[in-house]
Amino acid sequence: MSSPMDQLVEYIEYILTPSTAVFVVGTLIVFLVPIIVHILVTRATPYTNLPSVVLVGPPGAGKTSLLTLLERGDAATSTHTSQVPQSIELTVSVDQHLSFREAVKDDAPGEHKKFLLVDTPGHGKLRNFAMDSLVAREGLKGIVFMLDAATLDENLAATANYLYEVLLALQKRVMKGKTSKTPSVINVLIAANKSDLFTALPSTLVKSNLEAELGRIRKSRSKGLLASGVGIDDVDNEENDDWLGEYGSEKFTFGQMQEFNLEVDIVGGSVAEAKVDKWWHWVSERL
Amino acid sequence: MLDTFEILTTSGVVLWSRSYAQVSPSIINNFITDVFIEEKGGAVAGAKNNQSAAQNPPYRADQHTLKWTFVKELGIIFVAVYRSLLHLSWVDKLVDNLKTIFVDLYGDQLKKPNTTLVHCHKFDEYFDQQLRELESATATRGAPAPTFALETDEAISGNLGDEPPLPPGLKHRNAKAQDDLPSTVESTPIATPTSSRPSTPGGNHLVVGKGGPMSKMSRRARKMQKGSPAPMSSGDESSARKKKAPKKGRKWDADGFADEEDDVQLDYSAAPNSITSDSEVEGRSTAIDSVDSSTWGVKTSKGQFVLRDLDDEVHDILASAQSKPSTTSNSGLFGSGLNTINSLFRNVVGGKTLTKEDLAKPMDGMKEHLIKKNVAPEAAVRLRDSVEKELLGVKTDSFESIDTRIKKAMEVSLTKMLTPTSSLDLLRDIELVTRPSGFSTQKARPYVMSIVGVNGVGKSTNLSKICYFLLQNKMKVLVVAGDTFRSGAVEQLKVHVRNLKELTEREGGRVEIFEKGYGGDAATVARDAVRSATSEGYDVVLIDTAGRRHNDQRLMSNLEKFAKLANPDKILMVGEALVGNDSVMQARNFNASFGQGRTLDGFIISKCDTVGDMVGTLVSIVHATNVPVLFVGVGQHYSDIRNFSVRWAVEKLLNSN
Repeated sequence: MSSPMDQLVEYIEYILTPSTAVFVVGTLIVFLVPIIVHILVTRATPYTNLPSVVLVGPPGAGKTSLLTLLERGDAATSTHTSQVPQSIELTVSVDQHLSFREAVKDDAPGEHKKFLLVDTPGHGKLRNFAMDSLVAREGLKGIVFMLDAATLDENLAATANYLYEVLLALQKRVMKGKTSKTPSVINVLIAANKSDLFTALPSTLVKSNLEAELGRIRKSRSKGLLASGVGIDDVDNEENDDWLGEYGSEKFTFGQMQEFNLEVDIVGGSVAEAKVDKWWHWVSERL
Repeated sequence: MLDTFEILTTSGVVLWSRSYAQVSPSIINNFITDVFIEEKGGAVAGAKNNQSAAQNPPYRADQHTLKWTFVKELGIIFVAVYRSLLHLSWVDKLVDNLKTIFVDLYGDQLKKPNTTLVHCHKFDEYFDQQLRELESATATRGAPAPTFALETDEAISGNLGDEPPLPPGLKHRNAKAQDDLPSTVESTPIATPTSSRPSTPGGNHLVVGKGGPMSKMSRRARKMQKGSPAPMSSGDESSARKKKAPKKGRKWDADGFADEEDDVQLDYSAAPNSITSDSEVEGRSTAIDSVDSSTWGVKTSKGQFVLRDLDDEVHDILASAQSKPSTTSNSGLFGSGLNTINSLFRNVVGGKTLTKEDLAKPMDGMKEHLIKKNVAPEAAVRLRDSVEKELLGVKTDSFESIDTRIKKAMEVSLTKMLTPTSSLDLLRDIELVTRPSGFSTQKARPYVMSIVGVNGVGKSTNLSKICYFLLQNKMKVLVVAGDTFRSGAVEQLKVHVRNLKELTEREGGRVEIFEKGYGGDAATVARDAVRSATSEGYDVVLIDTAGRRHNDQRLMSNLEKFAKLANPDKILMVGEALVGNDSVMQARNFNASFGQGRTLDGFIISKCDTVGDMVGTLVSIVHATNVPVLFVGVGQHYSDIRNFSVRWAVEKLLNSN
């Protein structure tokens, strides 16, 4: 019987003696370890490649409600002001024209496609989440801008301001991308929520009001002051960089955005009454 | 009585709620906005992780009081809403206990990515149980029967042991209730004799039990006293003072209770149990199974199987949550050595879970860096705390050092702090007031802006810069010389107006000066100016004011009257970028000087060109007031005024050289 110490010495000697087995094992370790480490590291981020649809809009429009409605399929839960973005995984059937209730079921017919629906906080201080995802997100298939059609009269200025920011960010993204890989058409859906309420405007009126207000914002912005840092650091900024739509045009229409590969649709609906199938179909068609 | 109890995620989804009275959702929305997003009410009041509800300042909104607690790693908020008129002392405990229970039961579900679904409809039962228990416990305290009060007290001051009983409403209770979670758990009187829990067998037994101290307890209660850790059983053992169970692992060992069997008269297992009745059947039939039966039942010495009811489960959860902190032990020298090596490795490779110790040094470095950038220490500390709070327990990404992670988090914090709540488009605002749309009922009137600040910061200069900007947009501007005090102030404005007139003659703007000489009351001058501007159809009225020291009560008190008479649409304060720590107090005092319900609307930071990267004043004043910065002055000419860009400021502040 050899003591454990002897066994250890024997073992070490065996490893240090050149032999075929030692060489083979050594080579395997040298080549396999980096590969395994790589796999382990990349496996940590499995969700990056799904296409995504981002929900943006002013607070209180119903973004989180829509998200919960689409996820649960029966009814939206009550919600409060969001502080962090939240993404959920949803499945659409590509070839079938299903309502969202049917699509949420596990046994929905047709070819399935998964995507991420990303909810962003609408509060003014937290909009950088949304803006960052508009600028940088990969696999961005569409943007749903939700607004409250029932209180649009009072909130027109604030809502249009946010929409202006969103459209401008997208326009800049497309312009920048022109040289390299151009992101193909970016689709924007303006979802006029709360059509169940008495004061809600129909989508045509929402459209004309928004266009008028966006035109006014565009005009006043063009006359406004430069942002700090701009005048000092990069004077060679192109003048029409911050101009939304066709440069120099008198009136703003959403049609002008097509020049920048931005398709804008306006569709009414209601989360409270679960009339969101039109939006759902819009989303499914864009994926 | 409680109005509403809600459990919601930071992403805004209500996971579970119970409502007893209609409460407007805007109350909780405002609560979230004020406490979590805008962090009103001083330093990092918002969102302290895992703090007991008693320590979180209650949020009050029209007639309602909100008690809340927050679990950061899961991103859930627990809010209880009740009428402010009621003094519900047990709400803190309720919130804390429910937090512990909810996290224990559904924590795993909450960690799943890409879903908001949490199956927690069973939580109703736990909520009811807690509510009943706490409510009845409160009722007990006021009860006249001395023995009962005694026992309650004893239960709370558990470690007093054999000491003589204290009178009802003793101090220990209050002192303890202030403590963190453990003590609230401990002080939850679990099975005090008076607590009537009709649906649980324990309560029934207690009511019919004999008068003696021992027989008063149910069999189960004594079992718990023997075999379970002290905090959990503290309520049950109230009447048997001598037996103080030490903290040890729970064992549902039948033999341990055999000797006390005789004085229990009722068949415990036969007691109707409405809550768990469905699973009870299953429990009986599988009683002989070899599975760890302690998870759902207890075996008595007679061999009967007693299903553990909801109370037991809840108490278990609470007790285990309490004992958790003590279980984290180091596994010897070797273990700690390995940990050190591991953490060093993680420092480089990333994937490290950040602890307070990891963060302490780099966070202080970050604070120093901010102070070097002229951020007031008070604001720097707040930023440091908020970033630290955000990073605790966070895992770094692959190949990301702590410093990069901190910088990233600081960028987010700064951006959040400096970004205004609503968009600030001055021209659009003016247009809305001077040319209201057909729908609105408001009449067209001039837009009134006034400018305040301490002496020599550049009030008149910035006023003329804004004036120049407005004139270029073809507006009719009336400049009001509200400084009726300093020699040459009116003349100075006159010179400005003359220059501006010449500069903008071709552009189409029009500017006039309104002055009443020296010695008059600035507020009256301003009011007269606004009146005459309205009748003459001016677009904008710009009111200059005398510079005043912010800690001079006599001068500052004039501002309230001024705000009332002139009623400006915007009151802007000019602060210099050069000023250091005083900026916080300046901003605070000015912000508070306009009387009830009126605050500053924005800041103009002048002389930004003279400080280079050290734009910390921006942060200090926004920290102090939550009022956004509108403009920055960047030079000596009329055109040297800029809109404030958050990104520019954040870049400058984090730029290290």
